[in-house]
Amino acid sequence: MKQVIDARGLEPPQPFELVMEAIADLRPGEGVKLLLDRMPYPLFRILDRDRYRYESRVRDDGVVEIDIVAP
Amino acid sequence: MTTADLSLSYEAAPTFSTPLRFFLTGPLFGLLAGAVLLFVPDLLGSRWTPGALALTHLIAVGFMLNIMFGALFQILPVVAGAAIPQARIVAGIVHVGLAAGAASLTWGLGAGSPPFLTAAVVLLGITFGVFLVAAWYGLRRTPIAQATPRDLRFALLGFGIAATLGMALAMILSGGLSLPLVTVVKLHVGWAWLGGSGLLLAATSWVVVPMFQITPNYPARLTRYWALLTCAALVAWSAAVLAGFSLLEFVLAIVLAALSGAFAITTLRLQTRSRRSVPDNTTRAFQLAMSCMIAGLLCIVAAHRFDHDVWPVVAGILILHGGFVTAIVGMLYKIVPFLAWLHLSQAGMKAPNMKKLQPDGPIRKHLIAHAAALAVLLVAALSGSTLVVRAAGVLVMLEFGLLFANLMRVLGAYRIARSA
Repeated sequence: MKQVIDARGLEPPQPFELVMEAIADLRPGEGVKLLLDRMPYPLFRILDRDRYRYESRVRDDGVVEIDIVAP
Repeated sequence: MTTADLSLSYEAAPTFSTPLRFFLTGPLFGLLAGAVLLFVPDLLGSRWTPGALALTHLIAVGFMLNIMFGALFQILPVVAGAAIPQARIVAGIVHVGLAAGAASLTWGLGAGSPPFLTAAVVLLGITFGVFLVAAWYGLRRTPIAQATPRDLRFALLGFGIAATLGMALAMILSGGLSLPLVTVVKLHVGWAWLGGSGLLLAATSWVVVPMFQITPNYPARLTRYWALLTCAALVAWSAAVLAGFSLLEFVLAIVLAALSGAFAITTLRLQTRSRRSVPDNTTRAFQLAMSCMIAGLLCIVAAHRFDHDVWPVVAGILILHGGFVTAIVGMLYKIVPFLAWLHLSQAGMKAPNMKKLQPDGPIRKHLIAHAAALAVLLVAALSGSTLVVRAAGVLVMLEFGLLFANLMRVLGAYRIARSA
């Protein structure tokens, strides 16, 4: 089952630190789901650089969901 | 929004030095403002004295605009997913133009020198033109339906109008233009205060207050309609000023004050619902800022009611120094260490803890000096004592000196971490 990181309500940079720790442990093809209060644009930059695949969406309740898959 | 869209929108994220050069220049203008109070202590008698005009613009253009423009270079990519194109080149032009323009403007106003005012018009005209076009271009891909990117556009428009009116005023004072001075001053103040700075503060607060002060989000109705209503009321108020409908102008001024008050009170109420058990320095700064905004608004209403020179001066001190400067330094103390941390992390380096990059103790000292300077400034305006004005000048120099030192401390910690 995919790991879910609920980083809502945390002060920056804690959400960033949590997700970086989580994705560092992923094996190729494995993924995590990240829940946030807002779109993490700086994180996308790092995910792109390190060739992670990701999809982001804003739920109806305003929560931002990001599925990240390791390269 | 798809991954491809995002990649395009933040590909030109700037270096840490891009906003930092503005953040380090702003406090130097604050130091100059303190020096003006110390050496020209008879300037607070009226808002029309050359010294008061110079002082206001040292803070508004020299300090506030430096920090606001600098912050936008990073806020746009981090908060809105947009980036100013060719950020390094644009920042270079805007930084030099703003510093030279602010210096020229304040000297021109203080000394009553037409050549300096003309130079300020040219320098600030180029600076605003370059910045506003570049920032607008950066925002072109951001969703207009989201409150922050939409309201940032309104703020840019407001700054453009305020700057145009300001340049017209400088030309009137230097004898190059013939327009009714008092009318243009009124419009310039209204647009600079609410149309530019107020909208930018609100657009940034929608995101930064919940993010860093761990509060619930602002009510959706406020973020959806506040900027729209404020802009509409500003346009209507401007029309009333131009048409000379003084009763309508007063009613619309009350509407604008009520809208500003709604923003300030909502922010204070959100802070009471913060998940933080003890308010941190930024929360305290915002509490002071919002309280000063509300007090300043009451003084503006008093200025309409009672014809005395002291009310506009006290309102100006409360809104500019107590409101905007306090909110700006509160945000700076979150934004600067966060950016240092972010740039170190993005460079693949081990970033120190945020508290190590920007410890609480020095921030507290600065905020105490800032609050003391504000209190003494208010006493100076009310008492008219030149001795108290000089004391306020010393405290203003102290507070901006401490701010500069604290920002340099973050830079020092950043450099040590980079070289480790």
